[in-house]
Amino acid sequence: MENTKALVLVHSNMNATDITAPVDIILTPEFYTVKRESLPVQYTYQAKRIASSLFNGLLESTEGYEYFVSKDDDKWLFIAYNMEEIKKFLISKNINIEYISKVYFAEQMVESFNVPIVLDDKKALVNLNGTAVVVPLTALKDERTVSTVKKHNRPKSGISIGTSNSFLTTKQSLYLSLFFILFSFMFIIEGSRYGEDSHIIKKEMNLLLEKYPALQSTYTRKNISKKYKNIDQKERKKRNLVKIFSTMIFKGVKLVSLEMDNKKFHVVFACEDASIVKKLKELAQKEKFHVVLPVEKNNLQIEGVL
Amino acid sequence: MNWKRYQNELIAFFAFIFMISSFFYKQHHIHMAKNTLQEEIQSLNDLKELIALKKVWADKKTTKKIEKLKILVPPSKVIWRKEGKKVKASFKNLTATELNKVVSKTLNTAVIIEKFNIELLDKSYNLELKCKW
Repeated sequence: MENTKALVLVHSNMNATDITAPVDIILTPEFYTVKRESLPVQYTYQAKRIASSLFNGLLESTEGYEYFVSKDDDKWLFIAYNMEEIKKFLISKNINIEYISKVYFAEQMVESFNVPIVLDDKKALVNLNGTAVVVPLTALKDERTVSTVKKHNRPKSGISIGTSNSFLTTKQSLYLSLFFILFSFMFIIEGSRYGEDSHIIKKEMNLLLEKYPALQSTYTRKNISKKYKNIDQKERKKRNLVKIFSTMIFKGVKLVSLEMDNKKFHVVFACEDASIVKKLKELAQKEKFHVVLPVEKNNLQIEGVL
Repeated sequence: MNWKRYQNELIAFFAFIFMISSFFYKQHHIHMAKNTLQEEIQSLNDLKELIALKKVWADKKTTKKIEKLKILVPPSKVIWRKEGKKVKASFKNLTATELNKVVSKTLNTAVIIEKFNIELLDKSYNLELKCKW
């Protein structure tokens, strides 16, 4: 999609401009220092690393300077600029920097100034031996001049003016986003695991049903389960009772009789003396058995229902 | 409004929205798990329990196991009547040791005890057993 934003040429003597829509700006050489170098590096990031060292001695102080680097035929184009200074200037010209999308340097589109562009009544921007420079208008004599830059001459890359209105720096935003994304993936993985659990259970269920086809129907399963649970419960109770009765047979105690069917039980113990009867009775009461009056002395009868 | 000015906030905001969406995705699965997964787990556990119960109470080897009761005591002390999957057994004059063996074997076999009567006569025991499987 073609960039249709207005292209504003920014120079030191420009008039205050009221911008109400997003624009791209071109900075004249008054706002930057340029250098072209042939370097044995392949990538822009490598060139960017050494950019500051190239301007040593060329700038009064490299503090506050940022660097724009791009490949220019067989050379590298290095541009040093002070974004804070540029911003201050733009604000002084009533330009709302919120509306500035891209910032280009005149050097990037030097060929557009083959025909000089008049900046004001004293200066013009011109391509001088392959470098964009601001020259006095008088130096141009009778040369043909223009007053605007053509929109389609916009360079491919530029810089952003920076996010002065942002609450977050790029680094903060990056860390925060990474933090959120990390948690997102944790949530997604955790959520998926719940889904997997269901899948595993269904698979296990199907395997069991394949092994026991008679249990395919839920209704059948319920009926069979009810039947066996009843049996299991009752039979366990019977066995447990016998186990308890066996623990009640100790020295001085004899089992006289035990009767047990599906509904009730009745057991009689014979004890040697009253003290053993008392002890046995306590044991029976501890097990919450119903103790009935003995028919014979020193006997203990227990009965109950299942 | 130039959104590019706030691109840092926008990136963080979208990442945040992504995190919130993921959180709801997880919550949705947890909710599903509470409703359906618990039911599925219950069904599976019920089925496993049923299979286990069936293995115990419908064991095809029970007939063989119950037959072993006869050989625990001398044949003269046992009257054995078996009809299909039902047994009526009468053990007479058992010593305490023999009684223990028979009782223990009976209780450890998965049969439905319909009648289980033990009676002390002098120094020996009689045992009436009626069971099915």
